[in-house]
Amino acid sequence: MESLLSLPWFDFTISGVVIGSIYALMAVGLALIFGVANLINFAHGSVFTVGSYIGWTCAVALGLPLWATVLVVAAAGGIVGALIELLAIRPLNHQSRIAPLLATIGVGLILDQIVHIIFGANPRALPVSLPNLRFSIGSGTIGAIDITIFVTGVISALALYLFLFHSKLGMAVRATAQDGDAARQMGVGINAINMTVFGIAGALGAIAGLLVGIYYNSIDPNASFEIMLKGMVAIVIGGMSNVPGAIGGGLILGLIESYGIALFGASYRDLFAFAVLLLMLLLRPNGLFARAHAREAEPMTGTFVTRAKPVRIPAWALVAGAVLIALVPALGQPYLTQVMTNALLYALAAMSLTLVAGTLGLISIGHAALLAVGAYASALLTMAGLPVALGLVLAAAITAVLGAALTYPAFRLRGHYVAIGTLAIGEIVALVILNWTSLTHGSMGLYGIPPLELFGIPLFSTNASYWFVLALVIVFALLQMRLLSSHLGRTWRAIREDTIAAETYGVASNYYKGLAFGFAGFVAGISGAVSAHQFSYINYDTFNLLTSVLILTIVILGGLGNVTGAIVAAIIVAGLPEVFRTLAEYRMLFYGMALLLLIRFRPQGLMGSD
Amino acid sequence: MTGKPLLVLDRINSFYGPVQVHFDLSLTVPEKAIVCLLGGNASGKSTTMKTILGLKTPQSGHVLLEGRDITGAPTAEIVRAGISVVPEARRLFGEMTVRENLLMGAYVRADKAAIAEDYDRVLELFPRLRERLRQKAGTMSGGEQQMVAMARALMGRPKLICMDEPTMGLSPLFVDRVLELIATVNKTGVSVLMVEQNASMALRIADYGYVLQSGRIALEGPARDLLADPRIRTAYLGETIE
Repeated sequence: MESLLSLPWFDFTISGVVIGSIYALMAVGLALIFGVANLINFAHGSVFTVGSYIGWTCAVALGLPLWATVLVVAAAGGIVGALIELLAIRPLNHQSRIAPLLATIGVGLILDQIVHIIFGANPRALPVSLPNLRFSIGSGTIGAIDITIFVTGVISALALYLFLFHSKLGMAVRATAQDGDAARQMGVGINAINMTVFGIAGALGAIAGLLVGIYYNSIDPNASFEIMLKGMVAIVIGGMSNVPGAIGGGLILGLIESYGIALFGASYRDLFAFAVLLLMLLLRPNGLFARAHAREAEPMTGTFVTRAKPVRIPAWALVAGAVLIALVPALGQPYLTQVMTNALLYALAAMSLTLVAGTLGLISIGHAALLAVGAYASALLTMAGLPVALGLVLAAAITAVLGAALTYPAFRLRGHYVAIGTLAIGEIVALVILNWTSLTHGSMGLYGIPPLELFGIPLFSTNASYWFVLALVIVFALLQMRLLSSHLGRTWRAIREDTIAAETYGVASNYYKGLAFGFAGFVAGISGAVSAHQFSYINYDTFNLLTSVLILTIVILGGLGNVTGAIVAAIIVAGLPEVFRTLAEYRMLFYGMALLLLIRFRPQGLMGSD
Repeated sequence: MTGKPLLVLDRINSFYGPVQVHFDLSLTVPEKAIVCLLGGNASGKSTTMKTILGLKTPQSGHVLLEGRDITGAPTAEIVRAGISVVPEARRLFGEMTVRENLLMGAYVRADKAAIAEDYDRVLELFPRLRERLRQKAGTMSGGEQQMVAMARALMGRPKLICMDEPTMGLSPLFVDRVLELIATVNKTGVSVLMVEQNASMALRIADYGYVLQSGRIALEGPARDLLADPRIRTAYLGETIE
């Protein structure tokens, strides 16, 4: 107790409030957009990053004073936000509601890549000269930076309040958030309102980026995703579209993190955020500040994009295709064979995701976690002396069980919340791997994972591992197609179309969701495990959000629920960029554009959905 | 029918995908009249409202306001041209004050002085709202909310108010009140097009009625005649009119 009391609680509170006000700035934008456009803007973190780099350009490269920097950053952020609405969101007006969410993921990747191209991949310093003030209060201190950030936050909040409550446009924004159809009937132009909130959100997000850069004297081109998640946690705490709630949620999250760090250490920081997120989704999905009669959780089921009849491919063509793919090593190009092996491993992962996202309708943005579980399980078991064959099977089984168990909390979620929930679960898995040092060696990762071999037969030649992975793809593809045409497949689709209706017919939907995640976990686990033996080194970041997004892109390209589509799309998406080296360099740009264009022009995928 | 035609729907055919909702739908709302469009579920009533407001563009046919073609025009323009709406289930902005709800009704207008004038006029018409200006609209009773919805529609200084099932979900006592309100609004010179399931009640205050069945006008005539027509009853029992 003595040591707890002696911690500098005042300082932790101050830093909690300061970081919290930055989260609040992020969250307000997300809440406005969610309210008006019913959309989680996954590009919001990238606007933050863009803001921090524009801030660097103004303050460091051009030497502008701080106030001018803030104004330029806000204006630029506003323009970026408005452009996102105009170019990526507005064209999707008549598509299903999850389509724009996926489009924002694509936009985020593109913005991040642009920052990478212009400024390089390394963090840089953002020194801003502030008066060297420090106020001592009791045992703690407040510095000029703390005050600057807090005051900027308060001014932004005030400006937003004046806009929302004392301007005609602001009133229309609130009206649209409450009832978009009614607002439309009053003659409110929804496009203009959407663009306005995207602009405001962009401005606030960019300012947040600048402030974080000043606070840590460092800006990082890879910060987008994490900060977006923090903003999202804050709006989940505050109640999604509740703007004052978002501010409260941001401050609460900042304080939780700060105190959490005080008690448990900095490496657990993000774990708190995601634990809070999951708890909120499960216990109070309408937010902390919602009244008892608050709005029902979003009635959107997993229904996703226009479904189109799947393209039926005759069996002889499938066999011919498989034979052609099997003949790739005959070309005598080991690099191509390696690339294809990798693509087929993605195909396994995509088959797994297309089952849950397509057939069952639960859009998961945390699928890489299943690969990570499989990879670590097989690596650890075989490093402890088990034969690789056994390691693979056990790892897949472990992933199946963990996959179903870990995603269980997300089963009761619907629509956008599934995406948020699975994302949080995925991040928690990565953080557990990072922090469970005694088992996983933490950030060091695992070295010297035994190479592939089956019952003493080595499979580590390029060709052998290629054929092995191809065999896995074929076996599991046949199995999955068999399942889809069975009673089980029909039940999964029924749950996707209308969970409540399915339950009234006696379908225990959680059981069937568990089965789907179990099967999907097994396949994804195999994919991750084989990858681990291929790479011989893995760490907590080997299977990250980009992996998840890539798998999701593959699944959409292939057509949701379509097994052969997933395989073909995996070869296109994971294979092509590696074959053309220039594409590999701009990989994120490629994925982002692919995702964006797909959703815009061929949401049903290449091969149609099932 | 008397009076100059204000709103004319001329042979509208509309579709949702392959499904046809309207078959050569034609109707006329004269100036200063109350016209009701009767129909059961899935008869195409709501689509009619959407078509008038430009929220749904018909495949063929025209919507004319005072002779001007407004088919598929932006809603803002249609509202500005003089059509306001009381949506189904009122659809107030529940978290906003009564005053803000009224101002939303004037959203498309820029004439500040005239808006202030209309604001006072509307509050004179519905004095009960004056005491409630700062109250959140969502916390009011159903009847009061209906009042706000009508006041909001009037704030657009409309020539025509379209009402989508104004009596839906109200107790019989309130239904009478709402009918009175509609009559009050109409007396200020505004035409009313009322879409209703509740035929006998709607016809009591209407001048003229149309019966919409599966997207076609099955019957029309002066309200008094329709009220006496035994076929009206069968229409609402879902039977086909011979």
